[in-house]
Amino acid sequence: MSFFDVMFCIVALVTVGSAAIVVLSRSLIYSAFSLLFTFFGVAIIYVFLGADFLAATQVLIYVGGILILLLFGVMLTHRLYNLNLKTETFQLIPGMLIALAVFTSLALSATQTRWKLVTQKPAEPTTEAIGKLFMGEYLLPFEIASILLLVALIGAAMLVRRRSDA
Amino acid sequence: MITLQHYLLLSAALFSLGIFGVLTRKNAVNVLMGIELILNSANINLIAFSRYSSHGLDGQMFAVFVIVVAAAEVAVALAIVLTMYRLLKTVSLDQADTLRR
Amino acid sequence: MILDNQHSLLFFLPELTLTIGMLLVILCDITLKRLRNRLNPILTVFTLVLAAYYTFQLDQTAPASLFHGMLAIDGFAQFFKLFLLLAALLVVLASLHSAELAPFHQGEFFALLLAVTLGMLLLANSTNLAMLYLSLELVSLTSYIMVGYLKTDRLSNEASLKYILFGAISTGSMLYGLSLIYGMTGSLNLYTIRDTFLSQGVEGVDQFTVLLILVLTMAGFGFKTAAVPFHFWCPDVYAGAPTPVTAFLSVAPKAAGFAVLLRFFFSGMSQTTGSQWSMIGGINWPLVLIGISVLTMTLGNIAALTQNNLKRMLAYSSIAHAGYILMGAVVLTGDGIKSILVYLFVYLFMNLGAFLVVTIIYDSDKTFEIDDYNGMFKRSPFVAVAMAIFMLSLIGIPPFSGFLGKLYVFGSVIDKGLYWFAAIGALNAAVAAFYYMRVLKAMLIEEGSGSTAPLQVSFFNQALLVALLLPNVLLIVFWNPIDRWTAASVQLFRGV
Repeated sequence: MSFFDVMFCIVALVTVGSAAIVVLSRSLIYSAFSLLFTFFGVAIIYVFLGADFLAATQVLIYVGGILILLLFGVMLTHRLYNLNLKTETFQLIPGMLIALAVFTSLALSATQTRWKLVTQKPAEPTTEAIGKLFMGEYLLPFEIASILLLVALIGAAMLVRRRSDA
Repeated sequence: MITLQHYLLLSAALFSLGIFGVLTRKNAVNVLMGIELILNSANINLIAFSRYSSHGLDGQMFAVFVIVVAAAEVAVALAIVLTMYRLLKTVSLDQADTLRR
Repeated sequence: MILDNQHSLLFFLPELTLTIGMLLVILCDITLKRLRNRLNPILTVFTLVLAAYYTFQLDQTAPASLFHGMLAIDGFAQFFKLFLLLAALLVVLASLHSAELAPFHQGEFFALLLAVTLGMLLLANSTNLAMLYLSLELVSLTSYIMVGYLKTDRLSNEASLKYILFGAISTGSMLYGLSLIYGMTGSLNLYTIRDTFLSQGVEGVDQFTVLLILVLTMAGFGFKTAAVPFHFWCPDVYAGAPTPVTAFLSVAPKAAGFAVLLRFFFSGMSQTTGSQWSMIGGINWPLVLIGISVLTMTLGNIAALTQNNLKRMLAYSSIAHAGYILMGAVVLTGDGIKSILVYLFVYLFMNLGAFLVVTIIYDSDKTFEIDDYNGMFKRSPFVAVAMAIFMLSLIGIPPFSGFLGKLYVFGSVIDKGLYWFAAIGALNAAVAAFYYMRVLKAMLIEEGSGSTAPLQVSFFNQALLVALLLPNVLLIVFWNPIDRWTAASVQLFRGV
């Protein structure tokens, strides 16, 4: 087992472990904070896969944006004097069975399928290549993504603002 | 030796945990966390395949767009959840069932 | 031929119009405080009409692939662009006098409507998995916001919460399925995917993976088209959303969902032998589709029988109609696709008409209960008769246009020899007649128990009702042109 393999195993364990805490913990705050570890773990996985730009984006947007939003959501939807942020659950057993069934079928397909494999080149920085693709082949999705963000902005602001308009 | 299959197993685990979270959690923000796990697992898939299965960066480009969509989705979802809290003073999903008369 | 960014712009005029229109509506909303309530609807209608005009202009171009393989231009794309623009236009007109939307500032509504129309146009034409996902999410996100538009209404908020949670799960699962496709083929382009699948073959465990992929991607498509078993959001969302939004959801995103489903499966995951398509991986796709179609129509029809809320009933009815539409997808031939196009076209007018009547009656009576529709004939014969025509059309009785749709769909199934399947469809249509007739009976025969004042219907709404009635009554006469138009539209760009 090389150093890389050991590191991968540790990171994978941290990621899956913290994801398990997210879905199993009784406390909402513990869930939110272990989601932080999950996101970081995923970012490190991206680095292992040679996706440096994606890893930076993951940290910036997921940890720096989405997680903060979720924490706001947690905090703003509870009465502050009652910090007993416990959550209840629906039936655990059917959920567990379904999740196990899903995992088994996905794992089976993951390990046995003949995935398309190409010879790998050594990992190189991707930022420039991604930038060129954004302005080249992926220009249309890039523009549509900006419209999507505009719509989300308008929608979220409209739903939450208090003043009523004439 | 870490191969493609290891990454796929990791993402399968995250996906299953996300499905479990979505099915069993009552708090709306908790369900959102489960959805984020699902999206992250798909992203790991895309980037792993981008490295092992194709010469270009298509998978990584797709993953960037998924991150963008996830951010927008969380923003809108939280706006809806906050509105719900304002109206009902709770975000528990079993309180949100008046439509099913 | 695959066009690059610069040359694709000429073919992209409808979508560009929608984008600029949306931005203008937003600007107008921010700046012109006094004029905006008048100007926004006019801007929106003008944008949609201009986009439709540009779409007509594109009619004569050869099939091509735009923006480095992101979108396709072909007959199929043209049909859906026109359909979706028409649907959006009718919904805008129907929403102008809606009492539900009036207290809430309407500027964003029009901007969101233009955005969702843009998303749907892109969704119906996507040939790249990234573009497909992005446009699907654009449509979905905007729909979530539109459903929750009535901020102070508890039902609207609950509907949008259920919609977004269910939708995010479904599209997330679909994304996982799309990533698996990418892994098996190494490409995001639908045509390259199909070619790779065909050249390397699918055996052994790969078939199981393809099955997984189909299940996961059907989660997304089934969600958009409200097919069983991904229909759970539909009744609650339709009942809670503002009625114009419900009307819109019941025709437009559903049609866009069918368009992308057809394009995805026929262009990306199937192989042709002569004029027949069959699914790669040897999966008995017709059987799967038959199963989904039967479940969808049966569940929709049976559940609709017990509803007292007209919007919920129409929600289940639209689920059932999705089942009929899927019948056309079962046959896997050009005729099948043509029957889907005809059905969607007639379905647009009858469903929007029914929802317009619901809006009109809500505006004066503030109710959606069928029992409160009693005696409507005495209060407004015009509205009652109009609703009667829409209901009869939805049942599929000749000479109304609904019959045309059912004829095509059942016909294509019978042509394939699946007589028992057509029989199930006919049985379902007969069962459906019960709940549609219930509305008819309430309006025309029952004695009203509420107010007996004549129904106030604005002239604009009356004109709109007539505009929606005419296709229901006259389309049967224009059988031939419609047949020719849809036959010409069954032209799916099959890649270079």
